[in-house]
Amino acid sequence: MDKKKLVILAVLLLFLVVLVIIYLNLGGTVKPWPTQFISSSQDESESEKQNESTTIILFFPSEHDSLLHREEREIIPESSLALHAKRIISELLNGSQRGFLSPIPPETRLRELYITKEGVAYVDFSREIMDKHLSGSSAEMSTIYSVVNSLSYNIKPIKKVFILIDGGEKKTLGGHIDLTSPFQPIYDIVAK
Amino acid sequence: MSSDAGSIPAASIIEIDDRDKLYKLRRGIPKLTLAFSVIFLFLSISSAPQSQPILKISAQDYEKYSRVTIQSDLPLSSSVEQSDTFVFVKIRANTPFRIQRESFRSRFIKSVGWSRGSGSYTLIINMEHENFSCNSFKVQNPPSLIIEIHPNRGQDPPINETNRNRTNPQTVDPECIVIDPGHGGLEAGAKGKFGTLEKDITLAIGMKLAEIVRQTRASNVVLTRDRDVDLSLEDRSAIANNNKATVFISVHVNGSYRKGAAGPETYFLSKDATDEESRRLAFMENNSEEMENNIQAEDEDLIKMILWDMAQTAYLKQSSQLAEAIQSELNLLWGTRNRGIKQAPFKVLTGVACPAVLVEVAFLSNPQEERKLLTEEYQRKIAQAVYDGLAKFLRDNSR
Repeated sequence: MDKKKLVILAVLLLFLVVLVIIYLNLGGTVKPWPTQFISSSQDESESEKQNESTTIILFFPSEHDSLLHREEREIIPESSLALHAKRIISELLNGSQRGFLSPIPPETRLRELYITKEGVAYVDFSREIMDKHLSGSSAEMSTIYSVVNSLSYNIKPIKKVFILIDGGEKKTLGGHIDLTSPFQPIYDIVAK
Repeated sequence: MSSDAGSIPAASIIEIDDRDKLYKLRRGIPKLTLAFSVIFLFLSISSAPQSQPILKISAQDYEKYSRVTIQSDLPLSSSVEQSDTFVFVKIRANTPFRIQRESFRSRFIKSVGWSRGSGSYTLIINMEHENFSCNSFKVQNPPSLIIEIHPNRGQDPPINETNRNRTNPQTVDPECIVIDPGHGGLEAGAKGKFGTLEKDITLAIGMKLAEIVRQTRASNVVLTRDRDVDLSLEDRSAIANNNKATVFISVHVNGSYRKGAAGPETYFLSKDATDEESRRLAFMENNSEEMENNIQAEDEDLIKMILWDMAQTAYLKQSSQLAEAIQSELNLLWGTRNRGIKQAPFKVLTGVACPAVLVEVAFLSNPQEERKLLTEEYQRKIAQAVYDGLAKFLRDNSR
């Protein structure tokens, strides 16, 4: 009897070992979940810690060099990614609190902002961003990348940013940088 | 109550009834477990090769050439050699690959095989004829190596090394320099403190640059505009492509929120090139039939547009060299140091099918530079500096 029990035990143990092997084996091949747009889960975790402020980082041009500079700001997180993104843009539109330059004409309003499953944020500005824009390649670059970097840096599911003006696609802000393709963030142009 | 009765362990009932049966049953459990574990073990082993990176080999014929694609999960490090009717593609591999070959039919390729060496795989492409040239390039997402093999027809001499040095005087187009003075018409561009408009400065410098090129070289010079007119960004690149431009230079004057911003900057296109390239390939692969046979008239424009849209990605390396050459001359002129070339997604550059740069000659938002830009003398100096850079680039690339 005891011998039989031992046999059973041994077999069960073997089974366990096999299971562990399978697990490890699969563990090696199974890819981690794709970092998809996970708005619902994110929303929950955000609503849990409501009223708890979070730090966002905005990117502004500076008078001293041609780089973008980080500016930290405490905000109460919004209930959804799109609202959070809108909040980041409105903070950017309000301008710097540390004396950096404003990259967007002050008359500009954010009309709409939505984020697709693929992680493309569509940011729709009122036409002042174009009409009142200070023309020039450098000015256009700092406007575009302060928006693109600020959104992508703070909201990880955002991979690319598409800038719309007055509800539609425009070619450029002032004849230079191409607005017909979405932008990926560039962190080379950020001050260390 | 009945559920209680049902919950009595079956084994205890059996134990009372028939010990022999129980014995058999107990013997049966390990057997069953063993069988399951063997199955699981087998499954786990059979699932193991999935962790092995795959090398997917496919080939496809196009009208005038064949393309062999080697696709993998891992970045590929490779070399391509050709001899007789063979193309040898050596792929370095630290881990063993699982090779997947797709069946294909080709007019140019006789067979595709592979052999495994130590730390490498060699793909052997056997061609029908030995008279061919091949080139290879890599794309990302997924990492792929693409080998294009062009059979040379008729009297073409066999080409051993590369077909790049083929200098057939009859087919060489005359050198054509396309100069694009930025903005124009209603679109004034940057504005200076003293009211200077970018469109006027770019025209003045562009015209002077064209003049210098005409006087110094026996080449065609095309100005995208020689007056104060509106001209779309697409039309500017179309002018370059229609004239089979050797080089495209767009002249601009910079503007910044920073009053202190100063100095020249030369840009070439930044695009997510790998992204674009794979998009282009995907497009070509999906549409190869239509593209080479009869294209519907209404689709033709769309296809052309998509292809032109990405034209510049093929010239990024040369464009960076041109930018480098021009920037160093401008640095000398302005006394700016360590000012490197820059990349940005300029709309006007995306569709240009030749080396192309955008020169921001100085900052109009800087009053000191604005004053200089207004003088004929500085305009001429800037044009000369841009020309010197261009000439150096053309010298380096004529070999």
